[in-house]
Amino acid sequence: MAKAQEGRGAQPPAASGPTANAKKYAWPPKPAVLSTRVKRLDGPDKVTGKAKYSFDINRPGMIYGKVVRSPHPHARVTAIDLNAAKALPGVRAAIVWKEPGTPAAECKYQGDPVAAIAADTEELAEDAARLVKVTYDVMEHVANVEQAMENGAPAWAAGTANTRKGNAEENGNLDDGFKQAAHVVEQTYATHVITHVCMETHGCVCEWDGDKLTAWVTTQGVHGTKDGFAQGLKIPATNVRVITQYMGGGFGSKFGPDAQGLICARLAKEAGKPVKLFLDRKEEHLDSGNRPSAYAKIKAGVSADGKLTAFDAQSWGTGGAGANSNFPLPYIYNFPNRRRVHTDVFINAGQQRAMRAPGHPQGCFLTEILMDELADRVRMDPVEFRIKNLPEANLSQAWGEYFRMGAKAFGWEKRHATGDPRPGPIKNGFGVSAHRWGGGGRGGRAHCDIASDGSVVMKVGTQDLGTGTRTMVAMLTAETLGLPVSAVTPEIGDTNYPVCGASGGSTTAASISPAIRIAAGKARDAVFAKVAPELGASADDLVAENGRVFVKTNASKGMTWKDACRRLGAEPVSVDGEWEDGLSSTGTSGVQFTEVDVDIETGIVKVKRILTVQDCGLILSRLTAESQVYGGIVGSLNFALFEDRILDRVTGHMVNPNMESYLLAGLSDVPKIDIMLVDSPEQRGRGVIGIGEPPTVSTASAIANAVRNATGVTIRSLPLHPHRILAAIEEQKSGGTL
Amino acid sequence: MAKNKDPEKPEPINQSRRQFLKATGVAPLAASVAGAAIAEAQSGAGIVGPGEVPIELMVNGKRVALRVEPRVTLLNAIRNRADLTGNKRGCDRGVCGACTMIIDGKTAYACSTLAIETVGKQIRTVDGLADGAKLHPVQQAFCDRDALMCGFCTPGFVMATVALIEKHPKPTPEQVKKGLDGNICRCGTFVRIMEAAMTASGQLATRGVTRG
Repeated sequence: MAKAQEGRGAQPPAASGPTANAKKYAWPPKPAVLSTRVKRLDGPDKVTGKAKYSFDINRPGMIYGKVVRSPHPHARVTAIDLNAAKALPGVRAAIVWKEPGTPAAECKYQGDPVAAIAADTEELAEDAARLVKVTYDVMEHVANVEQAMENGAPAWAAGTANTRKGNAEENGNLDDGFKQAAHVVEQTYATHVITHVCMETHGCVCEWDGDKLTAWVTTQGVHGTKDGFAQGLKIPATNVRVITQYMGGGFGSKFGPDAQGLICARLAKEAGKPVKLFLDRKEEHLDSGNRPSAYAKIKAGVSADGKLTAFDAQSWGTGGAGANSNFPLPYIYNFPNRRRVHTDVFINAGQQRAMRAPGHPQGCFLTEILMDELADRVRMDPVEFRIKNLPEANLSQAWGEYFRMGAKAFGWEKRHATGDPRPGPIKNGFGVSAHRWGGGGRGGRAHCDIASDGSVVMKVGTQDLGTGTRTMVAMLTAETLGLPVSAVTPEIGDTNYPVCGASGGSTTAASISPAIRIAAGKARDAVFAKVAPELGASADDLVAENGRVFVKTNASKGMTWKDACRRLGAEPVSVDGEWEDGLSSTGTSGVQFTEVDVDIETGIVKVKRILTVQDCGLILSRLTAESQVYGGIVGSLNFALFEDRILDRVTGHMVNPNMESYLLAGLSDVPKIDIMLVDSPEQRGRGVIGIGEPPTVSTASAIANAVRNATGVTIRSLPLHPHRILAAIEEQKSGGTL
Repeated sequence: MAKNKDPEKPEPINQSRRQFLKATGVAPLAASVAGAAIAEAQSGAGIVGPGEVPIELMVNGKRVALRVEPRVTLLNAIRNRADLTGNKRGCDRGVCGACTMIIDGKTAYACSTLAIETVGKQIRTVDGLADGAKLHPVQQAFCDRDALMCGFCTPGFVMATVALIEKHPKPTPEQVKKGLDGNICRCGTFVRIMEAAMTASGQLATRGVTRG
């Protein structure tokens, strides 16, 4: 089985059992704060515009940076003349990024950074960028996987191959598997490239104070970005501070300073002024990551009684200029005999980056469309067929149970067989799919301060991507100290706070929650130790609830939180906590159901409703957990129906580097969405698991299967744009598909 | 046009030109897209720019005096020169709606509106919506319904919702869709944005998300 790319956060190895601290500070069986619906603490700042995103930072004397980029998908920079740009009044710095005559001078995609300038205003910076004279030696390029894989194709980069074939992943015996098969499906499936389209583009503000750099960056990892600046600029990491108080989306694309961050820092150094450098929308599409394409030629067998028997796949895909494109395949379902070989294909386009559940939406689509085709061959209901072929059930693989729960709630029994038999152009259909994700994490650290006035600060060097991390930090602390959420000040988004990993792979909640729980628990115990003698009890007999500290067995023997903290006097509490095993876990499962209407005269798909069953261990905040699920589903709906990075096959230029022809859903496109969050004692007992990515994996597959159910036509590649649906229907009429 | 001696004051208005436009029936157009400086430019009698010119904008009921090149957008002018950073820049092409402001009662993409065009108009941004610490009902509803995640598109959605409710105090779901379809949320909070619009217009109870 393919090893899944589980995002940037490393997946923890199998748990070795809870530590002493994890047992001591186990999650409360009846939480007062956790699992409730707590409003986002920073909501008011976000709705009033007071929240300062990195893009909003305006420093005294600040000027603006602009990157000069290669207009060619493949070229060598032979000369850069900055003189005309420097001569423009108001230009304060100009630097070369691709040094002519060095190996770095080769531009490998449209938008590859070449040089940069900084000037007094944004408008002036754009003028100056246009005055930078770059001489290119234009080279042949490859704009898509078909071109790159042709015999005699030009190399995407000088002296390198356009493909990299991986080792075969094998299990069982394929020949035996196909012998057991009563039916065989052999088809090619594909998904397309999409870009992250963060609303806040990549960028930062850099300000030097002597040899110390402060950078306000829009990043998913303040500490990793700090290290990135240190390495890229060859300065000590201790000289760098990175701040991300608010950020406008990342989705896996914002993990370091990137070229534009290092460029910004260099411009600021040269100008002797703070510099703001944020990409414009076109640059963002070209040079800030994307989800790689995926293709697979699959031959799969199923026995007469509906058991999967064999799976043989050649897969390929492109992550652009030199980046990999692997994904898990087959996805979830149990093919006892299987072989799969993946080939990375390189083309002259911006490099891929992790994008919300990297690899899984691709592997899910390629497998789930095949599953419906196989189910039809054995005339089984798609849900029953899936249940029959699941791996063994456990708490992180609970699809069977969720399929039944979801089917009942969705009214799956009303599904008709493939192809809506009713007359008229509007065809209705149901679709289903399943997904999995890790969502574990480790290594987070936290620091808790309690002052003698009772005020509490929890400092964590993590960041809030919009998932609600800031609120979660306060909730976890409040739960542990028996205080209202408003009594806790959460401090995040700054490398001055304890080291935490990047927010990728849905690892944030699972890595920081144990650290916060333990830090707050230790801090609470320090308060208990101070007041225990006065209460005539041992510290172990005290509890903190509802703003009071009291004896567990005699609630009248106690005092308010403030009174207890007053006893701290000149010795405020200041303690650290870090991630320990036993309070978090990894492995989630979920299923999704969709209903669509397809107009077979226009090819337009309208998703009518979506239902998901999703687990995530202990639910920290029901409100924001649901928001994550809504968001994931809408993201996947975009993947299915709207988004498509289109590269011109001749010029290698992106045709739609904007937001008017790179389509995204609006309010009118979003259907009714029902969320069934699994909140069982067994799931709660697993501790914290992330939920950012799992919901975005399978919606696209469920939509595609619903379109198939509606139209009776199998569309084996995304996106489901109207012209592609009409073409597939035409092909079917002429006897093409199936 | 005479050079303005005081950079803090807007360029003097050419009354006779305005009178002329009024008399010929072009004045409403000129007034709606321009202000005097542009009327001058369009008529060919005087040209402003390409260098910086002083303008005075009425933002959230306050006069804001700026010096901008005529090519500078309203969004960039007030973000970069007046430090009013509430409204955001997403696409810079009048599509995503993060920059949505209300100009003379109508929503406008501030990224695709020149600052100089808005002289003499009432500009409302998200920065001026709340009454001190008291949130506007639309802002409150967005918080109550968790109709935001990263929050970068939120100022635009809030302004679009405010304009919608000012026009349709009890909008139908179809009216909400139409009113907000010019805005994009990449985090995908649409379900709750719809709930927030219905809550702010008093058509949906404020749910008990009261902790915190």
